[in-house]
Amino acid sequence: MRKEVKMGIFGLCLVIPSFLLLSVIVIIPIILSFFESLRDESGGYGLSRYVYLFTDEGMRANIVFTLQVTIISCVIVLAVSYALAVYMRFSTGRLVDLIRKTYMIPIFIPGVIATYGLINLLGNHGWLSRWLLLFGGTLPRIIFDQKGIIIANLWFNIPFTTMLLSSALAAIPNAVIESAKDIGAGRLRIFFRIIMPLSYKTFLVAVTFVFMGVIGSFTAPFLVGPNAPQMLGVSMEQVFSVFQEREQAAAISFFTFLLCSVLGYFYIRSMVKEETARP
Amino acid sequence: MFRMKKRFTVLSALALSFGILAGCGTANNNSAGSAAAGGSSSPAASNSASSSAPVEIQFYFTGSQNVKNLWDQLTPMFEEKNPDVKVKLVYIPSGTGAQPTYDRILAAKQAGKGSGGIDLYEDGLPVVTQGQKDDLWDTLSTSSVPNLAKVDAKTMQDVANLAVPYRSSAVVLAYNSEKVTTPPRTLDEVFDWIKKNPERFAYNDPSTGGSGSSFVTTTLYKDLPEEAIHNDDPAIMKDWDKGFATLKELGPYLYGKGIYPKKNQGTLDLLTSGEVDMIPAWSDMVLEQLDKGQLPATTKMQQITPGFNGGPTYLMVPKLSDKKEAVYKFLDFVLSPEAQTVMIKTMHGFPGIELTNMPQDIQDSFKGVSEGFRNFNVGELSKEINKRWQSDVAAQ
Repeated sequence: MRKEVKMGIFGLCLVIPSFLLLSVIVIIPIILSFFESLRDESGGYGLSRYVYLFTDEGMRANIVFTLQVTIISCVIVLAVSYALAVYMRFSTGRLVDLIRKTYMIPIFIPGVIATYGLINLLGNHGWLSRWLLLFGGTLPRIIFDQKGIIIANLWFNIPFTTMLLSSALAAIPNAVIESAKDIGAGRLRIFFRIIMPLSYKTFLVAVTFVFMGVIGSFTAPFLVGPNAPQMLGVSMEQVFSVFQEREQAAAISFFTFLLCSVLGYFYIRSMVKEETARP
Repeated sequence: MFRMKKRFTVLSALALSFGILAGCGTANNNSAGSAAAGGSSSPAASNSASSSAPVEIQFYFTGSQNVKNLWDQLTPMFEEKNPDVKVKLVYIPSGTGAQPTYDRILAAKQAGKGSGGIDLYEDGLPVVTQGQKDDLWDTLSTSSVPNLAKVDAKTMQDVANLAVPYRSSAVVLAYNSEKVTTPPRTLDEVFDWIKKNPERFAYNDPSTGGSGSSFVTTTLYKDLPEEAIHNDDPAIMKDWDKGFATLKELGPYLYGKGIYPKKNQGTLDLLTSGEVDMIPAWSDMVLEQLDKGQLPATTKMQQITPGFNGGPTYLMVPKLSDKKEAVYKFLDFVLSPEAQTVMIKTMHGFPGIELTNMPQDIQDSFKGVSEGFRNFNVGELSKEINKRWQSDVAAQ
């Protein structure tokens, strides 16, 4: 008993520094910005800033637009990354080697530079449209449009997500798959019964990362996106530093935090389930 | 116990320094005793310390990259001549943090903490007048900054001697002379041209850069009386309706059927790539980029009448700065014909001092160039303009 108490105190001591750091740089700012967002124009407290978020036409359009971009980006990123990871795990050959060596390159290119490159590539007078012109085609509008933001998000998120999923797939032992094959399981069956369940947790981690990365993105939406509707990050910057309505900006940021925390809830719930299921 | 310890440290430090000084004294064959040597050489040491550690002034400025290049060039020139002053440049890219800098000066004043470590600040007229209300800026005079005599007295009167208009630039129409043979000369002709040449004109999002902002403001005040542009009474906001209707109507005729690029450079990029034929732009940016070959040589400029709003950029000294003497020295240098010449050559703007003070060749190069801009002073209202533009024009 005595030893257990000691160990408990020791454990707490180990946790306290990181918890303090977390509260100073994450929890307290969230609480402060929540209180700031409750201040209305006359200086009193109320929900007027949040009412504005959902009643102002432009702001509502921004929210819908942000969710659209985020969900489309998440679906495409995860589909492509998962396919790539599975392909790299279970195939061999020169092509696989090449993909394995190159797929991480985008991580090392700074965001602004990549975005500028995308503008040059996909812009109205960019390389792609010039090549298309040779064959008599025209390029639809990509830059200054939703498509541009989504393409930029793919570029930023696919490499890291693929890396995450690859490591999860690499952890699946070959023996399991081979023994399943031995007792006559087909490819699809192996995929859905063995590979999917074993990589499901990492998949959830990847969804969380992509979702939060995209919903809070700024550089690409600012440079590539349309003037209206805007992503919430761009809108927040405008409300904060151009219109100088700090309380309104705080409300937008708190709302974004709520959106992220919904996903965080599912993530944590599945983690807790797993923990308690352990003997 | 603590005090004892402290006393001991002080004593030992003294002993040590006397020891060192005594060593110096004997090395110099000083006939006086070691204590006398310490006494005589310590003021000398502190003197040399103050001259070897110059006063450092913090200069916060905002603008596009060309403004940064200018100060990067001027500061070493100044420091070379004035080794006792060091200028620390703090660059804030335009459209990102100018207001927080102002807030910082104001907050420092309210908290009784001097000027918040900011000794010199550069910004436009709205900030000068805002600071006048908040009583933030130091009143300048020719006795502290002699070269102020070279600045147009009327301009100084406009800002009640609270700021130095060190350079000016104008917003003009920049166009591709291969495609446009007769550029518009009035704002109505510009609107006409836009409608006759769909998708060949662009102006940037007014909240991200001055040239787009100038286009929007000039349109809003087109049919309003001349005094309106010096009025910051919110009552005038309802008179904007007609101007916003015009901007909204122009939307579908603009580049990409209503795409407003970000920042001053955004529209210049479109002009460079040939995606549009005409844009409003800062004259200094166009001239600089023509000079470097970044814009096609066929690019020309045209000012309309009455002009787009433009005007001087100001330097302000926070009243509570404790390094004013050094700042005055720097201001005097900035207004010297020598520094102004560098400024014209790198920025291609108009000089802040009157042309008659400039070298003859520069005076000649400005022959026939009229002022070409009007000074708008609508104060806080510019924020409202941006807000309404976002909801009425961008999100139509």
